[in-house]
Amino acid sequence: MKMLTCSRLSSYFSSSVRWLGKGVAVLWVIGDVSVQAQQLDQPQKQSESAQAPVKWVQAKDLPAEATEAGNSKEKPGVISTVLNWWHSTDRPGDLQIHGFVSQAYITTSDNDVFGNSDKGGSFGLTEAGLNASLRPLPRLQLSAQVLSRRAGEGNSGMPRLDYAIFDYRLYSQEVNQFGIRVGRLKNPFGFYNETRDVAFTRPSIMLPQSIYFDRTRNLGLSSDSVQLYGDTAVSDWGTLSTQFGVTLPVVNNRDTESSLLGLVRPGELNREISYIGRGIFETNDKRLRLGISGIWLNTSYDPKKLSSPLELGPGALEFTPVIFSAQYNSERWTLTSEYAIRPFSYDRNFKNTRLDGQHFVGESYYFQGEYRFTPNWEGFLRYDALFIDRSDRDGSDWVAKNPGGRSGLGHSRFAKDIAVGIRWNVTPAFMLRAEYHHVNGTGWLSGLDNPIDLKTGRPIDTHQYWDLFAIQASYRF
Amino acid sequence: MNLFHFSLQAQFSRHCFLKTRACLCFALTVCLWVVAAEVRANDHYEIVTNPGVNEKTLSVNSLRSIFSMRLKTWSDGTKIRVFVLSDDDQLHQIVSKEKLNVFPYQLRSTWDRLVFSGTGQAPIKVNSSEEMLARIATTPGAIGYLWRANINENVNVLEIK
Repeated sequence: MKMLTCSRLSSYFSSSVRWLGKGVAVLWVIGDVSVQAQQLDQPQKQSESAQAPVKWVQAKDLPAEATEAGNSKEKPGVISTVLNWWHSTDRPGDLQIHGFVSQAYITTSDNDVFGNSDKGGSFGLTEAGLNASLRPLPRLQLSAQVLSRRAGEGNSGMPRLDYAIFDYRLYSQEVNQFGIRVGRLKNPFGFYNETRDVAFTRPSIMLPQSIYFDRTRNLGLSSDSVQLYGDTAVSDWGTLSTQFGVTLPVVNNRDTESSLLGLVRPGELNREISYIGRGIFETNDKRLRLGISGIWLNTSYDPKKLSSPLELGPGALEFTPVIFSAQYNSERWTLTSEYAIRPFSYDRNFKNTRLDGQHFVGESYYFQGEYRFTPNWEGFLRYDALFIDRSDRDGSDWVAKNPGGRSGLGHSRFAKDIAVGIRWNVTPAFMLRAEYHHVNGTGWLSGLDNPIDLKTGRPIDTHQYWDLFAIQASYRF
Repeated sequence: MNLFHFSLQAQFSRHCFLKTRACLCFALTVCLWVVAAEVRANDHYEIVTNPGVNEKTLSVNSLRSIFSMRLKTWSDGTKIRVFVLSDDDQLHQIVSKEKLNVFPYQLRSTWDRLVFSGTGQAPIKVNSSEEMLARIATTPGAIGYLWRANINENVNVLEIK
């Protein structure tokens, strides 16, 4: 019996050794073949196996995508040929040229957004930009962008200088950089302001209006300034990027006047020294981004025609918003939220009861989720809220101050916007998208697109509950 | 009877053991495959530079800073010129995720912010590995990435710590 067991045991071992041997041999062969296959194969084929540890199932596997990529390779269009020439030709000073053009169609149930959108919709929003940048020296960059924006009454589409920057890197050491920028600079506030006109960089056609007001965009967008900036490594966690600038804001436009003074007045707003600063902390994997931005904007009014009934006295006003921003990025999700507190303060020299001594604090915030179904299909959902005066959220106190003139207009003191949209990146350079908004309130409507009746001081035709639907096509290079 | 019973038991247990072993063997093979695949993934591409670049090693943070277009000059003060493949290219995606530890869409939005705010430049896009190799070999200060099979003596392989 013992012998039997022994023989069985030994047969176990011998067979197990054989098994193991076979296994190793098989592994060897597989390994060898696969290595050889890799050496013989196209480099792209290797990546099939290399892709195994990459978590996300690539949308490339979809046949539609594959044919698309194939087409684009086989038949390059005129534009892409030109672009390839631009990209592949060695140009002196590392000249780069980029640009974009976007066209939107917007329709609303009531109220006008970027043109006469409530009567059958309008193609009133066109954005185009062209920029060039140059690095004549390793530490010096020069860049400029011309922007054309046609949007309702506020923007005619007349091209204007958006930025023109002289940027010198004062100090650069691995992960720490410091430098200075001089010229017309984009105002760094929040996550989106600097590139708000570039559809590709926005989460939606309409940015959250509570923070990125389109009606005062010229004021917020860029200004003539001197700015110091730095990127510093924060131990091993990430990078803190800070910017601080002394600026002369761009206030000489109708939209800003209408927003700050209630109407387009005969006189002008003066440009006075203002300050702007922002810090954004970003983890090394760029998953978490946290920011804080602040502006201290000063402007004063310069009366021109004292005989006009619309004329004001030489008052001054101060606008000091602070914005907190947070974003979380994962492979599929991007969750973003920003909160702004916006104190306005008018002095007593305007000689106008509506403006003199006015002090109120506005509040805005939004929550937004973006989801990438595939790298080419994205969706977003957002709730965005604006309160012109946070101590009077439904506008009732404001109405009570002048019930005769303001009754029923409490909705102009707030706006709550629920938006949902979808985006299709047809190619990395061409994008289509659509979105729907349901809005309660008219707080961020442009006064130029929705004028008030000068006799009664009331908007001619605005409605509290309204819907907006928009589609957009955008191309960039 | 006792003997028969025992041998039956032994046979049964042997059968079980064989089965388990086969399973184990299979699992081991799968494990090795996965490991091999991972090794291949890390092994079959490299960060490469123009031969004129003095750096032979670079920290991951510096590499990320370069591909984020923040770090613009090599330690000797010469320009860094970054070359990339298209956003939807497989190698680009693998390098982004594995070497830089960021998703390709995050790199794209970083570059877009720089280009359209005027505060930086975008990397130079090339259309193929062949073009990448040619451009890096001939452009002073160039950095990019290549499948190992495409690498030749005209470019330097950078070691990433």
